[in-house]
This record gives sequence, structure tokens and C-alpha cells, in this order.
Amino acid sequence: MESELRALSRELDVPPARDVTAAVLQRLDERAVRRHVPVLRTGFLRRPRLGWRAALLAVAAVLAVLIATPQGRAVVIHVLRFAGIEVRQEPGPPRAPENSASLPGQQSMSLAQARRHVSFPIVVPAALGRPSDVVVSDRGRVVSLIYRRTPYGLVRMDEFNGRLNQVVFEKFVHAVRVTDVRVNGSRGLWFKGPQEIVYITRDGTPAAASARLTTGNTLIWSTRQVALRLEGNLSKTAAVAIADTAH
Amino acid sequence: MLVARYTLRAHRAAFLLGAGEESDDVVQEAFVKAFQHLAGFRTGEPFGPWLLRIVANETKNTTRSRRRRAALALRLPSAQEGGTAANGPVDEVLASEQRAQLVAAVNALPDLERQVVACRYFLDLSEAETALVLGWPLGSVKSRTSRALNRLRGRIVPGEQTRVHSG
Repeated sequence: MESELRALSRELDVPPARDVTAAVLQRLDERAVRRHVPVLRTGFLRRPRLGWRAALLAVAAVLAVLIATPQGRAVVIHVLRFAGIEVRQEPGPPRAPENSASLPGQQSMSLAQARRHVSFPIVVPAALGRPSDVVVSDRGRVVSLIYRRTPYGLVRMDEFNGRLNQVVFEKFVHAVRVTDVRVNGSRGLWFKGPQEIVYITRDGTPAAASARLTTGNTLIWSTRQVALRLEGNLSKTAAVAIADTAH
Repeated sequence: MLVARYTLRAHRAAFLLGAGEESDDVVQEAFVKAFQHLAGFRTGEPFGPWLLRIVANETKNTTRSRRRRAALALRLPSAQEGGTAANGPVDEVLASEQRAQLVAAVNALPDLERQVVACRYFLDLSEAETALVLGWPLGSVKSRTSRALNRLRGRIVPGEQTRVHSG
């Protein structure tokens, strides 16, 4: 009987399924707004900015990715991509030893020199004054402005080309710690609390030596050309205020 | 994307658990609820049965208010039902008649037995997964499965069982 039932299963007439993706996303977006709950905004998919492949940086897609575990069962990893940063809801890779984490090919130089080394206009947050250090990494792919003497302690700002459809950093977080903010009229994401982060090289592999725990909180946003992340013991208000002065 | 990947499976489950014409709406509702609860989802748990559980609950909510059971009936593609296969080779005709009888027998099962048959044999879920999706203790899955199989084998007289649904 059991094998007959299984054979029958193949013959049953199930009508075609409608693709409900758009409807689901619309409902999620409506619910998020009504409840005022900080969620990963799935609304990004509903209003793709013109030319997310072109000048405007509009990359924000909520993806749920299935990976096969060693036991052969699929689990869901919640993944978000925004401004060149991929955010995953899972533990990160093993961290480099305490305080030794570094990006590949790090080179200190002056701000003026750095401007010549990178393919995008470096954005400087006026509110923080002059950076203590300017570090160019991975042959000009990332610029880091380090500020050692701010009222908040050490603050760093990483910048990279926002026009390329590439993942540059991966962050590993819990969904509930991410909220939407607005910086200079455009979208940003605020991450509360330290997270694990790793740098992704040009060929898409994580640079193990860069895996570390962030300090304080992180804000990520972008201008038309540059993707930005601001990290330090900053409140959301302070971070957004600083980011607003970055030009 | 997750929705696209699981839509077919969720839809099949909704339909086979009785959602009928409302399967698309059930699936949509289930995905919305799944995403709402995703923050609390423990990574490491298999996603499929977890989603199907939400689908099963939504199907139950949808069909609860329905009075007509006709919409719950499973069916074969019409070419196989009754006469049109009559001109084919003898064993094909017999097989398709047997299938039609089996579908009718499954449709006539009491609700709970029909649900467990749908999960175990039409959706290919294991006993443990079935327990999760239907929200039953594992023992109930086993006992209702064996009752359903016995009934389908003709070993239980219709009307003998405690839960008999008419109409």
C-alpha cells in the first residue's frame, strides 16, 4: 500500500503555483512600517533605484541563502547586501589574534597621497577633524581613515568604490540589531554592538587575517560613488551626525 | 531567493492538505509569517519542515471556515479518470482504475488520517518531519498512519472509526 501511495503521489493533479514573491515583499514592507519594528528592510527590492548597476548605489537586497551542512540538510542563512557589505546572520570565521587583524597590503600615507591611490573620491567627515592615520589597502581598493583622539575614543572610517557590484566586507550579526537610518537623505544601516567582520578580496574570498570583532557600533551608508562604514563607540545620533558632515 | 525556491513545495503542501483554490493565498500568508519570525529562527534547524508547518497552520485556518468538503478532494489528471484510458493496453487500464479507486479512498479518509497520508506519502516527509509540520506527537503520527493504511487496505469497515465525517 505504501508504495502504491507513493506512486500515486506522482500522478496527483496539483494546479500550478502562482509566484507570490512580489506580494510577499509588499506585505512585509507594509507590516514593517505599521509596526515601527526595526527589521531588515525588504522594501529595497520594491523600489530599485534607477541604474543600480550605474552611478547610483542602490544595492540592498534581502536574500535568504540555502547552504548544505555537512549532515546534508539545508539550513537558511539570512543574508543582506548593502553598499558593498554583505551581512550574514551566522557566526563569522575564526578571528585573527588579538589586535593583529589587518587588511591585505596595508600602507600608511598622507591623505593627499591616498587620493592618488584610489579610484574614488575620498570622503572626509569634517566633524572628526584631521585623521591620525590614512591607510590604503589591497592596492587601493579600500581607504581607512583612523581617528585616535575623538571624544568617543578610536573611530575608523572605511571607504571603497560604491559603484562596483562587489562585496567588500562581510559582517555577521543578529537581524534584530540592524536598523534603518537616513544619512544626508539617503539610506543607511545602523548596527548596534560589536560584530564579527572580515574583508573580502577581489576574487571573492575572505581574507583570514582581517577577521576581527568590531569596536562599539557601526554605521554603513553610501554616496553616489563611495560606500562608507563608520565604526566606534558612537551612539546612533552621533554616528549619523558625523556621517552627515562627510563630503 | 527563498520565496521562489520554496514556492512550489509550499503550494503543493497547501493544496494536498486541503487549501484547494486558496493555495496561493495560503502560501503567500505563510511566507509573510515565516519572514516575520525569521529573526527567531534557529539556524541549524531545517527550514523546509519549519516553513511547511506554517503552511499547514495557515491551511487549517483557511479551511476551518469552509463547509463544503468537495473542495478538499484530491484528483488525478482527467485523462486518467474512468473511461478515456479504456482503449489502452489492459494493464494500463487496470492501473489507472486502481489509481482512481485509491484517490477516492484517500479522499474518503477521516481528516486526520488524510492529512498524515498527504504528509508521509504525497509530500515525502519523514515521521519526525510530519510530526513537526502537523504539530502532533510522534506517536499520533505513527498510529494515524497505520490506521489510514489499514483502512485503505480495506481492513477497517467505513463507519467503524470514532471520527467519521459525513459529506
